[in-house]
Amino acid sequence: MVEAGGLFSALVTGIGIGALYALVAIGFSLIYKITGVLNFAQGQFALLGAFLVVVLSTSLPFWFVEVQIPVYAAVVVTILIGALLGVLLERLVFRHFIGEPVLSVIIVTLAFVGIIEGGSRFFISAQYRAYPQELQPGWSLSLPLDTELQAPFVLGVALALLTVAALMAFFRYTVLGSILRASASDQQAAMVLGVSIERTIVIAWALSIAITSIGGILLAMSSGGVGYTIADVTILVFAAVVFGGLDSIPGAFIGGIVVGVLRQFGVYMGEFLMPGLDSVFPMVFLLVVIMLMPYGLFGTERIERL
Amino acid sequence: MPCGEYFTSYEGRMGLLRWRIQRVAFLLALPIPLLAPFVLSGSLVSTVTLIFIFVVAVLGLHVMLSYAGEIVLAQGAFMAIGAYTTARMVNELGAGMIPSMLVAGLLTGLIAAIFGLPAWRVKGFYIAISTLALQFIAVQFFFTREEFAPIHGGTQQSMPQEIGLVGDFLAIESALQQYFFALGVMAVFVILTMNLSRTGIGRMFRALHENDLSAEVLGINRFRNKLLAYAIGGFMVGVAGSLYAMYIGFIDPGFYGIDITLLHYVMLLLGGMGRVWGVILGVGSVELLQHYLLDFLTDTFPDATALEPFVFGIILIFVLILEPKGLMAALGQVKEYLRKWPYAY
Repeated sequence: MVEAGGLFSALVTGIGIGALYALVAIGFSLIYKITGVLNFAQGQFALLGAFLVVVLSTSLPFWFVEVQIPVYAAVVVTILIGALLGVLLERLVFRHFIGEPVLSVIIVTLAFVGIIEGGSRFFISAQYRAYPQELQPGWSLSLPLDTELQAPFVLGVALALLTVAALMAFFRYTVLGSILRASASDQQAAMVLGVSIERTIVIAWALSIAITSIGGILLAMSSGGVGYTIADVTILVFAAVVFGGLDSIPGAFIGGIVVGVLRQFGVYMGEFLMPGLDSVFPMVFLLVVIMLMPYGLFGTERIERL
Repeated sequence: MPCGEYFTSYEGRMGLLRWRIQRVAFLLALPIPLLAPFVLSGSLVSTVTLIFIFVVAVLGLHVMLSYAGEIVLAQGAFMAIGAYTTARMVNELGAGMIPSMLVAGLLTGLIAAIFGLPAWRVKGFYIAISTLALQFIAVQFFFTREEFAPIHGGTQQSMPQEIGLVGDFLAIESALQQYFFALGVMAVFVILTMNLSRTGIGRMFRALHENDLSAEVLGINRFRNKLLAYAIGGFMVGVAGSLYAMYIGFIDPGFYGIDITLLHYVMLLLGGMGRVWGVILGVGSVELLQHYLLDFLTDTFPDATALEPFVFGIILIFVLILEPKGLMAALGQVKEYLRKWPYAY
């Protein structure tokens, strides 16, 4: 039977999971906002971040190279590598596509899906890998009605809130932030005013992949280790981002939370009705939202004229 | 190649084979696909059959994406609908391949039009994501749950070894017969698609693609024509799904995930959007590349199946960096160079 405690705990866990989705979704909408690229490989970048921690902190080798550094240092290094990877990707790959059809760039992100998944299967590991003990915290936050929020989710909620607040402040109060906003709203006008579009795009990619790796690490922590199911987060991220409006960062955050809660409700209802509802609930919701609000909650509505 | 265009009639200008050199090339090339299976090795014939099937599927995508400009991410779901319909028609009714293929196509077209309903209000990337959501519901939920078996007839089904073309007559059993059947179906759809772009419907699709607002001002019904594009494209993808079921001989929801959608996008965009030849070129080069790449990698490294998407992705990015508009545009540049060779005038 439906009871308040179970429902409340589903809500709380949903918010926790949703915060993790929100982190990846923020990375996604950051890229979309500034470069107009739909990154289909966002889940794979999260996967890569999650794997790097294991590679750096345990004896699991990357092909033949074996590194072993303290766990917390590994987390920091992973996030830095994520940012560096963003810079490299922009320099080596995406720079060539400025001014080319957007669909070509989307195909490049599809190529990254194959590159990252195939690469990590071959060079790192094709199996699930447990996280080191330090990254499997046992504590949890007690809430009323006998519910508890696991540590990764607590961290996720805190980090997601922090990231959104930091990004909002960055966009609003810093010069660099307003440069990014300017090039997002009109690339040509920004270029005329002396903004280097290349540099803004580099910054967007670096930030996006760093945030996505944080999301990936937390997703892996919440399931005790890293497996290839983390990459499936891409579709949920799409749902989250569309709900919030593709180019809105607070929208991505709220969308992530809503998708997480819906998924948890799906799991909860699945016990009574039919298992498998957890993957369908967010999708049905997404469709309803699209029909009612074609630009999401906070997305910019494009006004067309002839 | 003439340096100017000397068409004296509209028919001449709009013809599929316009110049004498094209007619000669067509006649010379015609025997190649007919004789190829007797020369090529068995595994290569199988790959080429798959190319024919995927050409039909990507042509459906081509109608929706390059003609009508709708980013539809439900290729897997459409193929699944075609495949499951075919399996039921063949296994339970004994209808034979051609009738079940047509029914599969019609049903897929109908459901594709339902998938297109969000086009009433949204467009662009939002339509992409709404079709992705429908794909997800269809394949990850509807086709994977046994509870819906009365509708789809079981999540995993196998196709009979021998399938008659109509009823039990003219059975298709060998790989060679599958090859020629797929070749025939592909030829029909290639000609259909080429002709579609020359009809009023095709021009309406293109007008909607270029600017749907101004198309509406010119009196084109936006919603109805978009749904028509979904239905026509869905029909083709459904037929391809039906052929794919025959080709593999077994259907499982796992075959129709998002991967196949993405593969078809890679094929279409690598070939170059907007031209039927681009579709054929794209599908052919991707499939052959994967075929030889897998051969090469498994020869060099023993457990290298995971390396195939890795290397393929890197090659894809290199090709797109060199020519972001696809292989067709690259060929166009070669042609332009040769046309002016040795003296550019």
